[in-house]
Amino acid sequence: MSAPAASPAAGTFGRFAILAAERRLLVDGVPVALGSRAFDLLAALVARRDRVVPKEELIDVVWPGLVVEDNNLQVQISALRKVLGAQAIATVPGRGYQFTVAAAAAPSTSGAVAAEAKARPAVRAGHGASQRGARLLVADDNKVNRLLLCRSLELMGHTVASADNGRAALEKLRSEPFDLLLLDLEMPEMDGFGLLEQRTADPAALHDVPVIVTSSLEGVAPIARCIELGADDYLHKPVNPVLLKARVDSSLERKHLRDRQRELLARLAPGAVGEAAPGAATGLRTEATILVARLRELDALAASQPAQETLELLGSWTTLMLDAVESQGGAVLQIAGDAISAAFGAAMPSASGVAPGAAVRAAREMGELMAQFNAERIATGKAPVGLAIGIASGEVVAGYTGTPQRTAYVCVGAAVERAARLEALAGGSAGAVLIDGATRAAVAGRVSTDTVSPAVLPGSSTAVAVHALKPAT
Amino acid sequence: MSAAVIDPHTFDELQANAGADFVAELVDTFAEEAPPLLAELRSALAAGAAERFRRAAHSLKSNSSTFGAHRLAALARELELGGLAADAAGVDALEAELGITVTALKALARP
Repeated sequence: MSAPAASPAAGTFGRFAILAAERRLLVDGVPVALGSRAFDLLAALVARRDRVVPKEELIDVVWPGLVVEDNNLQVQISALRKVLGAQAIATVPGRGYQFTVAAAAAPSTSGAVAAEAKARPAVRAGHGASQRGARLLVADDNKVNRLLLCRSLELMGHTVASADNGRAALEKLRSEPFDLLLLDLEMPEMDGFGLLEQRTADPAALHDVPVIVTSSLEGVAPIARCIELGADDYLHKPVNPVLLKARVDSSLERKHLRDRQRELLARLAPGAVGEAAPGAATGLRTEATILVARLRELDALAASQPAQETLELLGSWTTLMLDAVESQGGAVLQIAGDAISAAFGAAMPSASGVAPGAAVRAAREMGELMAQFNAERIATGKAPVGLAIGIASGEVVAGYTGTPQRTAYVCVGAAVERAARLEALAGGSAGAVLIDGATRAAVAGRVSTDTVSPAVLPGSSTAVAVHALKPAT
Repeated sequence: MSAAVIDPHTFDELQANAGADFVAELVDTFAEEAPPLLAELRSALAAGAAERFRRAAHSLKSNSSTFGAHRLAALARELELGGLAADAAGVDALEAELGITVTALKALARP
Protein backbone atom coordinates (compact mmCIF):
# COMPACT_ATOMS: atom_id res chain seq x y z
CA MET A 1 0.00 0.00 0.00
CA SER A 2 1.36 3.39 -0.84
CA ALA A 3 0.93 5.08 2.50
CA PRO A 4 1.13 8.86 2.62
CA ALA A 5 4.78 9.45 3.55
CA ALA A 6 5.62 8.27 7.06
CA SER A 7 3.06 8.52 9.81
CA PRO A 8 4.03 11.41 12.04
CA ALA A 9 6.00 10.49 15.11
CA ALA A 10 4.40 13.33 17.00
CA GLY A 11 0.87 13.53 18.26
CA THR A 12 -1.42 12.34 20.96
CA PHE A 13 -2.08 8.68 21.56
CA GLY A 14 -4.54 8.14 24.32
CA ARG A 15 -2.80 9.18 27.48
CA PHE A 16 0.46 9.99 25.72
CA ALA A 17 1.45 13.11 23.89
CA ILE A 18 4.70 13.21 22.00
CA LEU A 19 6.21 16.63 21.36
CA ALA A 20 8.68 15.96 18.58
CA ALA A 21 10.30 19.39 18.42
CA GLU A 22 10.93 19.57 22.14
CA ARG A 23 11.74 15.85 22.31
CA ARG A 24 9.39 15.47 25.21
CA LEU A 25 6.80 12.96 26.26
CA LEU A 26 3.73 13.83 28.27
CA VAL A 27 1.71 11.20 30.08
CA ASP A 28 -1.69 12.45 31.17
CA GLY A 29 -0.36 15.93 30.45
CA VAL A 30 2.62 15.57 32.76
CA PRO A 31 6.16 15.66 31.31
CA VAL A 32 8.04 12.42 31.82
CA ALA A 33 11.80 12.10 32.04
CA LEU A 34 12.99 10.00 29.16
CA GLY A 35 16.50 9.33 27.95
CA SER A 36 17.52 10.52 24.53
CA ARG A 37 17.81 6.98 23.11
CA ALA A 38 14.50 6.01 24.64
CA PHE A 39 12.87 9.05 23.05
CA ASP A 40 14.36 8.22 19.64
CA LEU A 41 13.15 4.68 20.03
CA LEU A 42 9.64 5.79 20.97
CA ALA A 43 9.52 8.19 18.02
CA ALA A 44 10.69 5.41 15.70
CA LEU A 45 8.06 3.00 16.99
CA VAL A 46 5.28 5.56 16.85
CA ALA A 47 6.16 6.58 13.29
CA ARG A 48 6.01 2.91 12.29
CA ARG A 49 3.05 1.97 14.44
CA ASP A 50 1.24 0.44 11.47
CA ARG A 51 3.59 -2.52 11.49
CA VAL A 52 5.97 -4.67 13.48
CA VAL A 53 9.40 -3.09 13.42
CA PRO A 54 12.36 -5.48 13.28
CA LYS A 55 14.99 -5.05 15.95
CA GLU A 56 17.72 -4.35 13.40
CA GLU A 57 15.70 -1.50 11.95
CA LEU A 58 15.17 0.07 15.36
CA ILE A 59 18.84 -0.27 16.18
CA ASP A 60 19.72 1.44 12.90
CA VAL A 61 17.45 4.35 13.73
CA VAL A 62 18.41 4.78 17.35
CA TRP A 63 22.11 4.02 17.06
CA PRO A 64 22.85 5.05 13.47
CA GLY A 65 26.12 3.70 12.16
CA LEU A 66 26.91 1.78 15.31
CA VAL A 67 27.13 -1.92 15.88
CA VAL A 68 24.90 -2.47 18.85
CA GLU A 69 23.79 -5.63 20.55
CA ASP A 70 20.16 -6.54 20.94
CA ASN A 71 20.19 -6.19 24.68
CA ASN A 72 20.80 -2.45 24.44
CA LEU A 73 17.57 -2.18 22.56
CA GLN A 74 15.95 -4.41 25.15
CA VAL A 75 16.98 -2.07 27.93
CA GLN A 76 15.49 0.93 26.13
CA ILE A 77 12.28 -0.95 25.42
CA SER A 78 12.05 -1.84 29.09
CA ALA A 79 12.59 1.79 30.02
CA LEU A 80 9.77 2.83 27.70
CA ARG A 81 7.45 0.17 29.06
CA LYS A 82 8.15 1.44 32.53
CA VAL A 83 6.78 4.80 31.48
CA LEU A 84 4.10 3.78 29.02
CA GLY A 85 2.90 0.56 30.56
CA ALA A 86 3.92 -2.89 29.43
CA GLN A 87 1.15 -3.17 26.87
CA ALA A 88 2.07 -0.06 24.92
CA ILE A 89 4.88 -1.87 23.16
CA ALA A 90 4.11 -5.38 22.05
CA THR A 91 6.81 -7.93 21.47
CA VAL A 92 6.31 -10.08 18.44
CA PRO A 93 8.62 -13.02 18.95
CA GLY A 94 11.09 -13.36 16.13
CA ARG A 95 9.82 -10.24 14.39
CA GLY A 96 10.37 -7.19 16.53
CA TYR A 97 8.29 -4.65 18.37
CA GLN A 98 5.14 -2.66 17.73
CA PHE A 99 3.67 0.39 19.38
CA THR A 100 0.05 -0.38 20.13
CA VAL A 101 -2.15 2.65 20.11
CA ALA A 102 -5.10 0.76 21.58
CA ALA A 103 -3.11 -0.13 24.66
CA ALA A 104 -1.82 3.42 24.89
CA ALA A 105 -5.36 4.73 24.77
CA ALA A 106 -6.55 2.56 27.60
CA PRO A 107 -6.98 4.47 30.82
CA SER A 108 -4.82 3.29 33.66
CA THR A 109 -7.63 3.43 36.17
CA SER A 110 -8.73 0.03 37.31
CA GLY A 111 -12.05 -1.61 36.74
CA ALA A 112 -13.03 0.48 33.76
CA VAL A 113 -15.43 -1.70 31.87
CA ALA A 114 -15.40 0.73 28.98
CA ALA A 115 -11.76 0.00 28.49
CA GLU A 116 -12.49 -3.66 28.03
CA ALA A 117 -12.95 -3.51 24.31
CA LYS A 118 -9.80 -1.53 23.73
CA ALA A 119 -7.39 -2.93 26.22
CA ARG A 120 -6.79 -6.41 25.01
CA PRO A 121 -3.94 -8.27 26.60
CA ALA A 122 -0.71 -7.13 25.04
CA VAL A 123 0.32 -10.57 23.99
CA ARG A 124 -2.74 -10.85 21.83
CA ALA A 125 -2.16 -7.47 20.35
CA GLY A 126 1.39 -8.49 19.66
CA HIS A 127 0.47 -11.65 17.89
CA GLY A 128 -2.24 -9.85 16.03
CA ALA A 129 0.31 -7.42 14.79
CA SER A 130 2.57 -10.19 13.66
CA GLN A 131 -0.11 -11.38 11.32
CA ARG A 132 -0.01 -8.30 9.20
CA GLY A 133 1.73 -8.81 5.94
CA ALA A 134 0.96 -12.51 5.78
CA ARG A 135 0.70 -14.23 2.40
CA LEU A 136 -2.81 -15.41 1.76
CA LEU A 137 -4.40 -17.37 -1.03
CA VAL A 138 -8.03 -16.95 -2.02
CA ALA A 139 -9.66 -19.73 -4.02
CA ASP A 140 -13.07 -18.79 -5.40
CA ASP A 141 -14.51 -19.25 -8.87
CA ASN A 142 -16.93 -16.37 -8.49
CA LYS A 143 -15.21 -13.20 -9.61
CA VAL A 144 -17.21 -10.79 -7.44
CA ASN A 145 -16.59 -12.87 -4.33
CA ARG A 146 -12.96 -13.33 -5.19
CA LEU A 147 -12.28 -9.64 -5.80
CA LEU A 148 -14.09 -8.60 -2.65
CA LEU A 149 -12.34 -11.14 -0.46
CA CYS A 150 -8.93 -10.19 -1.89
CA ARG A 151 -9.70 -6.54 -1.32
CA SER A 152 -10.80 -7.06 2.29
CA LEU A 153 -7.67 -9.04 3.07
CA GLU A 154 -5.41 -6.52 1.37
CA LEU A 155 -6.95 -3.77 3.44
CA MET A 156 -5.89 -5.76 6.50
CA GLY A 157 -2.33 -5.45 5.24
CA HIS A 158 -1.87 -8.90 3.74
CA THR A 159 -0.45 -9.91 0.40
CA VAL A 160 -3.10 -11.83 -1.47
CA ALA A 161 -2.95 -14.20 -4.42
CA SER A 162 -6.00 -15.81 -5.94
CA ALA A 163 -7.08 -18.86 -7.88
CA ASP A 164 -10.40 -19.48 -9.59
CA ASN A 165 -10.60 -23.21 -8.97
CA GLY A 166 -9.31 -25.84 -6.60
CA ARG A 167 -6.72 -27.26 -8.97
CA ALA A 168 -5.16 -23.89 -9.65
CA ALA A 169 -5.11 -23.23 -5.91
CA LEU A 170 -3.39 -26.55 -5.28
CA GLU A 171 -0.71 -25.72 -7.83
CA LYS A 172 -0.08 -22.36 -6.21
CA LEU A 173 0.09 -23.97 -2.77
CA ARG A 174 2.69 -26.43 -4.02
CA SER A 175 4.82 -23.84 -5.74
CA GLU A 176 4.98 -21.04 -3.18
CA PRO A 177 4.56 -20.66 0.55
CA PHE A 178 1.30 -19.32 1.95
CA ASP A 179 0.26 -18.57 5.50
CA LEU A 180 -3.44 -19.16 5.00
CA LEU A 181 -5.92 -20.36 2.40
CA LEU A 182 -9.44 -19.00 2.09
CA LEU A 183 -11.37 -21.63 0.26
CA ASP A 184 -14.70 -21.58 -1.50
CA LEU A 185 -16.50 -24.91 -1.73
CA GLU A 186 -18.27 -24.92 -5.07
CA MET A 187 -15.73 -24.55 -7.84
CA PRO A 188 -15.14 -26.14 -11.21
CA GLU A 189 -12.16 -28.48 -11.89
CA MET A 190 -11.65 -29.27 -8.23
CA ASP A 191 -14.01 -28.10 -5.53
CA GLY A 192 -13.15 -27.12 -1.99
CA PHE A 193 -13.80 -30.58 -0.58
CA GLY A 194 -11.50 -32.06 -3.19
CA LEU A 195 -8.76 -29.65 -2.26
CA LEU A 196 -9.15 -30.44 1.44
CA GLU A 197 -8.88 -34.15 0.65
CA GLN A 198 -5.73 -33.53 -1.38
CA ARG A 199 -4.34 -31.59 1.50
CA THR A 200 -4.74 -34.56 3.80
CA ALA A 201 -3.25 -36.89 1.20
CA ASP A 202 -0.26 -34.65 0.57
CA PRO A 203 0.54 -33.38 4.03
CA ALA A 204 4.18 -32.62 3.40
CA ALA A 205 3.32 -29.84 0.98
CA LEU A 206 0.01 -28.60 2.26
CA HIS A 207 -0.55 -29.50 5.81
CA ASP A 208 1.02 -26.46 7.33
CA VAL A 209 -1.29 -24.05 5.56
CA PRO A 210 -4.41 -23.46 7.61
CA VAL A 211 -7.69 -23.26 5.72
CA ILE A 212 -10.74 -21.11 6.31
CA VAL A 213 -13.70 -22.20 4.23
CA THR A 214 -15.97 -19.45 2.95
CA SER A 215 -19.23 -20.52 1.41
CA SER A 216 -22.85 -19.62 1.11
CA LEU A 217 -23.94 -23.24 1.08
CA GLU A 218 -26.75 -23.70 3.54
CA GLY A 219 -27.07 -26.22 6.33
CA VAL A 220 -24.54 -27.68 8.71
CA ALA A 221 -23.57 -30.72 6.63
CA PRO A 222 -20.98 -28.89 4.51
CA ILE A 223 -19.52 -27.24 7.60
CA ALA A 224 -19.20 -30.56 9.39
CA ARG A 225 -17.55 -32.14 6.38
CA CYS A 226 -15.02 -29.30 6.08
CA ILE A 227 -14.05 -29.51 9.71
CA GLU A 228 -13.69 -33.28 9.39
CA LEU A 229 -11.39 -32.71 6.46
CA GLY A 230 -9.21 -30.47 8.57
CA ALA A 231 -10.41 -26.95 7.81
CA ASP A 232 -9.69 -24.56 10.65
CA ASP A 233 -12.77 -22.49 10.32
CA TYR A 234 -15.91 -21.81 8.31
CA LEU A 235 -17.32 -18.45 7.33
CA HIS A 236 -20.67 -17.85 5.70
CA LYS A 237 -20.83 -15.62 2.66
CA PRO A 238 -21.36 -12.76 2.37
CA VAL A 239 -18.48 -12.61 4.76
CA ASN A 240 -18.79 -10.12 7.58
CA PRO A 241 -15.53 -8.11 7.54
CA VAL A 242 -15.19 -8.04 11.32
CA LEU A 243 -15.61 -11.80 11.58
CA LEU A 244 -13.27 -12.25 8.66
CA LYS A 245 -10.54 -10.30 10.38
CA ALA A 246 -11.03 -12.15 13.66
CA ARG A 247 -10.92 -15.57 12.06
CA VAL A 248 -7.98 -14.74 9.81
CA ASP A 249 -6.02 -13.34 12.75
CA SER A 250 -6.78 -16.37 14.86
CA SER A 251 -5.76 -18.83 12.16
CA LEU A 252 -2.56 -16.91 11.48
CA GLU A 253 -1.81 -16.80 15.18
CA ARG A 254 -2.01 -20.57 15.40
CA LYS A 255 0.11 -20.87 12.28
CA HIS A 256 2.63 -18.47 13.75
CA LEU A 257 2.89 -20.56 16.89
CA ARG A 258 3.38 -23.74 14.87
CA ASP A 259 6.06 -22.05 12.81
CA ARG A 260 7.80 -20.90 15.95
CA GLN A 261 7.80 -24.40 17.28
CA ARG A 262 9.19 -25.66 14.01
CA GLU A 263 11.85 -23.01 14.27
CA LEU A 264 12.67 -24.25 17.72
CA LEU A 265 13.06 -27.76 16.42
CA ALA A 266 15.41 -26.42 13.78
CA ARG A 267 17.34 -24.64 16.47
CA LEU A 268 17.52 -27.70 18.67
CA ALA A 269 18.81 -29.82 15.84
CA PRO A 270 19.43 -28.27 12.43
CA GLY A 271 18.22 -30.44 9.59
CA ALA A 272 15.61 -32.31 11.52
CA VAL A 273 12.72 -30.14 10.43
CA GLY A 274 12.81 -31.12 6.79
CA GLU A 275 12.27 -34.73 7.68
CA ALA A 276 9.67 -34.07 10.31
CA ALA A 277 6.59 -35.12 8.42
CA PRO A 278 3.62 -33.95 10.41
CA GLY A 279 1.32 -36.76 11.32
CA ALA A 280 4.12 -39.23 11.61
CA ALA A 281 5.59 -39.17 15.08
CA THR A 282 9.05 -37.85 14.43
CA GLY A 283 11.36 -36.58 17.04
CA LEU A 284 14.91 -36.25 18.13
CA ARG A 285 16.94 -36.46 21.25
CA THR A 286 18.90 -33.41 22.12
CA GLU A 287 20.44 -31.55 25.01
CA ALA A 288 18.42 -28.58 26.11
CA THR A 289 17.81 -26.31 29.04
CA ILE A 290 14.19 -25.88 30.01
CA LEU A 291 12.88 -22.86 31.84
CA VAL A 292 9.47 -22.74 33.47
CA ALA A 293 8.22 -19.43 34.86
CA ARG A 294 5.01 -18.83 36.75
CA LEU A 295 3.23 -15.75 37.92
CA ARG A 296 2.57 -16.08 41.65
CA GLU A 297 -0.31 -14.94 43.77
CA LEU A 298 -2.57 -14.99 40.77
CA ASP A 299 -5.34 -16.94 42.48
CA ALA A 300 -5.74 -14.30 45.16
CA LEU A 301 -5.63 -11.48 42.63
CA ALA A 302 -8.08 -13.15 40.27
CA ALA A 303 -10.57 -13.54 43.10
CA SER A 304 -10.35 -9.92 44.16
CA GLN A 305 -10.11 -7.93 40.93
CA PRO A 306 -12.23 -7.59 37.78
CA ALA A 307 -11.68 -10.37 35.26
CA GLN A 308 -10.52 -7.90 32.64
CA GLU A 309 -7.77 -6.71 34.94
CA THR A 310 -6.56 -10.25 35.47
CA LEU A 311 -6.43 -10.80 31.72
CA GLU A 312 -4.54 -7.56 31.21
CA LEU A 313 -2.10 -8.57 33.91
CA LEU A 314 -1.58 -11.94 32.26
CA GLY A 315 -1.13 -10.30 28.90
CA SER A 316 1.51 -7.89 30.16
CA TRP A 317 3.24 -10.60 32.10
CA THR A 318 3.37 -12.95 29.14
CA THR A 319 4.74 -10.18 26.94
CA LEU A 320 7.56 -9.50 29.39
CA MET A 321 8.40 -13.18 29.76
CA LEU A 322 8.39 -13.72 26.00
CA ASP A 323 10.72 -10.77 25.72
CA ALA A 324 13.22 -12.25 28.10
CA VAL A 325 13.10 -15.67 26.42
CA GLU A 326 13.40 -14.14 22.99
CA SER A 327 16.29 -11.88 23.87
CA GLN A 328 18.34 -14.88 24.97
CA GLY A 329 17.57 -16.94 21.90
CA GLY A 330 15.17 -19.31 23.60
CA ALA A 331 11.94 -20.57 22.15
CA VAL A 332 8.59 -20.69 23.86
CA LEU A 333 7.19 -24.17 24.21
CA GLN A 334 3.95 -23.37 25.92
CA ILE A 335 1.99 -20.43 27.18
CA ALA A 336 -0.50 -21.61 29.74
CA GLY A 337 -2.11 -18.59 31.33
CA ASP A 338 0.02 -17.86 34.34
CA ALA A 339 2.92 -20.09 33.27
CA ILE A 340 5.24 -20.26 30.32
CA SER A 341 7.85 -22.80 29.44
CA ALA A 342 10.74 -22.24 27.10
CA ALA A 343 13.57 -24.28 25.68
CA PHE A 344 17.12 -23.19 25.14
CA GLY A 345 18.74 -25.54 22.70
CA ALA A 346 22.18 -27.00 22.76
CA ALA A 347 22.57 -26.36 19.05
CA MET A 348 22.10 -22.64 19.43
CA PRO A 349 24.44 -20.38 17.50
CA SER A 350 28.05 -20.26 18.65
CA ALA A 351 29.56 -22.90 20.86
CA SER A 352 27.65 -25.74 22.40
CA GLY A 353 26.93 -25.64 26.07
CA VAL A 354 25.63 -22.06 25.95
CA ALA A 355 22.05 -23.05 26.61
CA PRO A 356 22.21 -23.19 30.42
CA GLY A 357 23.84 -19.75 30.50
CA ALA A 358 21.21 -18.33 28.17
CA ALA A 359 18.42 -19.73 30.31
CA VAL A 360 19.93 -18.27 33.46
CA ARG A 361 20.31 -14.87 31.77
CA ALA A 362 16.69 -15.07 30.65
CA ALA A 363 15.67 -15.80 34.24
CA ARG A 364 17.62 -12.79 35.46
CA GLU A 365 16.04 -10.64 32.83
CA MET A 366 12.61 -11.88 33.81
CA GLY A 367 13.39 -10.85 37.37
CA GLU A 368 14.46 -7.37 36.28
CA LEU A 369 11.44 -6.91 34.05
CA MET A 370 9.17 -8.01 36.85
CA ALA A 371 10.80 -5.55 39.24
CA GLN A 372 10.00 -2.74 36.80
CA PHE A 373 6.54 -4.10 36.23
CA ASN A 374 5.88 -4.23 39.97
CA ALA A 375 7.18 -0.71 40.45
CA GLU A 376 4.65 0.36 37.88
CA ARG A 377 1.88 -1.58 39.60
CA ILE A 378 2.71 -0.14 42.99
CA ALA A 379 2.74 3.36 41.52
CA THR A 380 -0.84 2.84 40.35
CA GLY A 381 -1.95 1.41 43.67
CA LYS A 382 -1.92 -2.24 42.65
CA ALA A 383 -0.41 -5.17 44.49
CA PRO A 384 2.93 -6.42 43.20
CA VAL A 385 3.05 -9.92 41.79
CA GLY A 386 5.61 -12.60 42.34
CA LEU A 387 7.57 -14.79 39.99
CA ALA A 388 8.79 -18.35 40.38
CA ILE A 389 11.25 -19.90 37.95
CA GLY A 390 12.65 -23.38 37.59
CA ILE A 391 15.50 -24.26 35.25
CA ALA A 392 16.77 -27.75 34.40
CA SER A 393 19.14 -29.12 31.80
CA GLY A 394 19.34 -32.52 30.22
CA GLU A 395 18.33 -34.66 27.33
CA VAL A 396 14.89 -34.07 25.91
CA VAL A 397 12.90 -35.55 23.07
CA ALA A 398 11.45 -32.89 20.82
CA GLY A 399 9.20 -33.27 17.84
CA TYR A 400 5.76 -33.31 16.36
CA THR A 401 3.05 -35.71 17.21
CA GLY A 402 -0.60 -36.01 16.43
CA THR A 403 -2.82 -36.82 13.48
CA PRO A 404 -2.77 -35.42 9.94
CA GLN A 405 -5.42 -32.91 11.00
CA ARG A 406 -3.93 -31.81 14.27
CA THR A 407 -0.31 -31.78 15.17
CA ALA A 408 1.26 -30.63 18.35
CA TYR A 409 4.82 -29.85 19.10
CA VAL A 410 6.08 -31.66 22.13
CA CYS A 411 9.20 -31.47 24.20
CA VAL A 412 9.45 -34.15 26.85
CA GLY A 413 12.10 -35.54 29.12
CA ALA A 414 13.33 -35.59 32.66
CA ALA A 415 14.62 -32.01 32.34
CA VAL A 416 11.15 -30.75 31.42
CA GLU A 417 9.64 -32.45 34.45
CA ARG A 418 12.44 -31.25 36.66
CA ALA A 419 12.09 -27.62 35.56
CA ALA A 420 8.37 -27.72 36.32
CA ARG A 421 9.02 -29.21 39.75
CA LEU A 422 11.72 -26.69 40.53
CA GLU A 423 9.33 -23.93 39.61
CA ALA A 424 6.71 -25.43 41.94
CA LEU A 425 9.28 -25.57 44.71
CA ALA A 426 10.37 -22.01 44.05
CA GLY A 427 6.78 -20.88 44.14
CA GLY A 428 6.14 -22.73 47.35
CA SER A 429 8.79 -21.33 49.58
CA ALA A 430 12.34 -20.91 48.45
CA GLY A 431 13.97 -18.20 46.31
CA ALA A 432 12.55 -17.01 43.03
CA VAL A 433 14.87 -18.94 40.70
CA LEU A 434 15.82 -22.56 41.33
CA ILE A 435 18.17 -24.44 39.02
CA ASP A 436 19.19 -28.06 38.91
CA GLY A 437 22.64 -29.52 39.31
CA ALA A 438 23.30 -29.91 35.59
CA THR A 439 22.50 -26.26 34.91
CA ARG A 440 24.59 -25.11 37.82
CA ALA A 441 27.56 -27.20 36.64
CA ALA A 442 27.35 -25.52 33.25
CA VAL A 443 27.25 -21.98 34.62
CA ALA A 444 29.58 -22.54 37.58
CA GLY A 445 32.01 -19.68 38.06
CA ARG A 446 29.80 -17.24 36.16
CA VAL A 447 26.86 -17.00 38.49
CA SER A 448 26.63 -17.52 42.19
CA THR A 449 24.13 -19.83 43.75
CA ASP A 450 23.07 -21.03 47.15
CA THR A 451 22.68 -24.72 47.53
CA VAL A 452 19.23 -25.41 48.82
CA SER A 453 19.26 -29.12 48.74
CA PRO A 454 19.36 -31.98 48.13
CA ALA A 455 15.63 -31.63 48.10
CA VAL A 456 12.77 -33.89 47.24
CA LEU A 457 10.88 -32.08 44.54
CA PRO A 458 7.09 -31.98 44.58
CA GLY A 459 5.74 -34.95 42.71
CA SER A 460 8.99 -36.86 42.93
CA SER A 461 10.35 -39.40 45.37
CA THR A 462 14.11 -39.07 45.05
CA ALA A 463 16.16 -36.16 46.28
CA VAL A 464 18.06 -34.10 43.70
CA ALA A 465 20.46 -31.19 43.86
CA VAL A 466 18.71 -27.83 43.91
CA HIS A 467 20.41 -24.46 43.78
CA ALA A 468 18.93 -21.05 44.24
CA LEU A 469 20.20 -18.38 41.92
CA LYS A 470 21.54 -15.38 43.81
CA PRO A 471 20.51 -11.95 42.59
CA ALA A 472 22.98 -10.47 40.17
CA THR A 473 25.25 -7.89 41.78
CA MET B 1 -37.57 2.81 -5.79
CA SER B 2 -33.97 1.71 -5.44
CA ALA B 3 -34.25 1.57 -1.65
CA ALA B 4 -36.38 -1.52 -1.91
CA VAL B 5 -34.14 -3.18 -4.47
CA ILE B 6 -30.91 -2.61 -2.58
CA ASP B 7 -30.69 -2.59 1.18
CA PRO B 8 -28.93 0.74 1.76
CA HIS B 9 -27.41 -0.38 5.04
CA THR B 10 -25.66 -3.36 3.47
CA PHE B 11 -24.47 -1.30 0.53
CA ASP B 12 -23.17 1.52 2.73
CA GLU B 13 -21.33 -0.93 4.87
CA LEU B 14 -19.78 -2.53 1.83
CA GLN B 15 -18.59 0.87 0.65
CA ALA B 16 -17.25 1.73 4.08
CA ASN B 17 -15.35 -1.53 4.32
CA ALA B 18 -14.02 -1.90 0.81
CA GLY B 19 -13.97 1.70 -0.43
CA ALA B 20 -16.47 3.37 -2.75
CA ASP B 21 -14.20 3.25 -5.82
CA PHE B 22 -13.61 -0.42 -5.35
CA VAL B 23 -17.32 -1.09 -4.91
CA ALA B 24 -18.05 0.78 -8.14
CA GLU B 25 -15.66 -1.58 -9.94
CA LEU B 26 -17.21 -4.53 -8.16
CA VAL B 27 -20.64 -3.47 -9.39
CA ASP B 28 -19.25 -3.35 -12.94
CA THR B 29 -17.86 -6.85 -12.47
CA PHE B 30 -21.21 -8.06 -11.24
CA ALA B 31 -22.93 -6.45 -14.23
CA GLU B 32 -20.54 -8.39 -16.49
CA GLU B 33 -20.69 -11.69 -14.62
CA ALA B 34 -24.43 -11.88 -13.98
CA PRO B 35 -25.68 -12.22 -17.59
CA PRO B 36 -23.54 -15.33 -18.28
CA LEU B 37 -24.88 -16.84 -15.07
CA LEU B 38 -28.40 -16.10 -16.24
CA ALA B 39 -27.60 -17.71 -19.59
CA GLU B 40 -26.24 -20.71 -17.70
CA LEU B 41 -29.53 -20.96 -15.79
CA ARG B 42 -31.48 -21.02 -19.03
CA SER B 43 -29.20 -23.50 -20.74
CA ALA B 44 -29.14 -25.80 -17.69
CA LEU B 45 -32.91 -25.63 -17.54
CA ALA B 46 -33.18 -26.52 -21.23
CA ALA B 47 -30.72 -29.41 -20.80
CA GLY B 48 -32.35 -30.64 -17.59
CA ALA B 49 -28.99 -30.26 -15.80
CA ALA B 50 -30.09 -29.82 -12.19
CA GLU B 51 -26.64 -29.43 -10.68
CA ARG B 52 -25.56 -26.75 -13.16
CA PHE B 53 -28.84 -24.99 -12.56
CA ARG B 54 -28.37 -25.06 -8.81
CA ARG B 55 -24.81 -23.80 -9.01
CA ALA B 56 -25.63 -20.84 -11.24
CA ALA B 57 -28.50 -19.89 -8.94
CA HIS B 58 -26.17 -20.29 -5.95
CA SER B 59 -23.61 -17.89 -7.46
CA LEU B 60 -26.26 -15.29 -8.19
CA LYS B 61 -27.62 -15.61 -4.67
CA SER B 62 -24.21 -15.20 -3.15
CA ASN B 63 -23.37 -12.08 -5.17
CA SER B 64 -26.72 -10.38 -4.68
CA SER B 65 -26.42 -10.79 -0.91
CA THR B 66 -23.01 -9.16 -1.03
CA PHE B 67 -24.52 -5.98 -2.47
CA GLY B 68 -27.62 -6.06 -0.30
CA ALA B 69 -29.84 -6.95 -3.25
CA HIS B 70 -32.04 -9.05 -1.03
CA ARG B 71 -35.01 -9.35 -3.40
CA LEU B 72 -32.77 -10.74 -6.12
CA ALA B 73 -31.06 -12.97 -3.59
CA ALA B 74 -34.40 -14.36 -2.46
CA LEU B 75 -35.41 -15.17 -6.06
CA ALA B 76 -32.05 -16.84 -6.70
CA ARG B 77 -32.29 -18.78 -3.48
CA GLU B 78 -35.69 -20.15 -4.45
CA LEU B 79 -34.17 -21.46 -7.66
CA GLU B 80 -31.12 -22.82 -5.86
CA LEU B 81 -33.08 -24.78 -3.29
CA GLY B 82 -36.13 -25.57 -5.43
CA GLY B 83 -34.52 -28.04 -7.77
CA LEU B 84 -34.80 -27.89 -11.55
CA ALA B 85 -37.76 -25.66 -12.29
CA ALA B 86 -40.69 -26.96 -14.32
CA ASP B 87 -40.74 -23.86 -16.49
CA ALA B 88 -38.80 -20.65 -17.08
CA ALA B 89 -41.12 -18.46 -14.97
CA GLY B 90 -38.68 -18.29 -12.06
CA VAL B 91 -35.77 -17.49 -14.34
CA ASP B 92 -37.81 -14.81 -16.11
CA ALA B 93 -38.65 -13.20 -12.77
CA LEU B 94 -34.99 -13.35 -11.84
CA GLU B 95 -33.94 -11.73 -15.10
CA ALA B 96 -36.38 -8.86 -14.58
CA GLU B 97 -35.18 -8.28 -11.04
CA LEU B 98 -31.55 -8.54 -12.16
CA GLY B 99 -32.07 -5.70 -14.63
CA ILE B 100 -33.59 -3.50 -11.93
CA THR B 101 -30.86 -4.46 -9.49
CA VAL B 102 -27.97 -3.66 -11.81
CA THR B 103 -29.47 -0.28 -12.69
CA ALA B 104 -30.00 0.53 -9.03
CA LEU B 105 -26.49 -0.62 -8.10
CA LYS B 106 -24.90 1.50 -10.79
CA ALA B 107 -26.83 4.53 -9.63
CA LEU B 108 -25.76 3.95 -6.04
CA ALA B 109 -22.15 3.20 -6.93
CA ARG B 110 -21.60 6.34 -9.03
CA PRO B 111 -24.09 8.90 -7.84
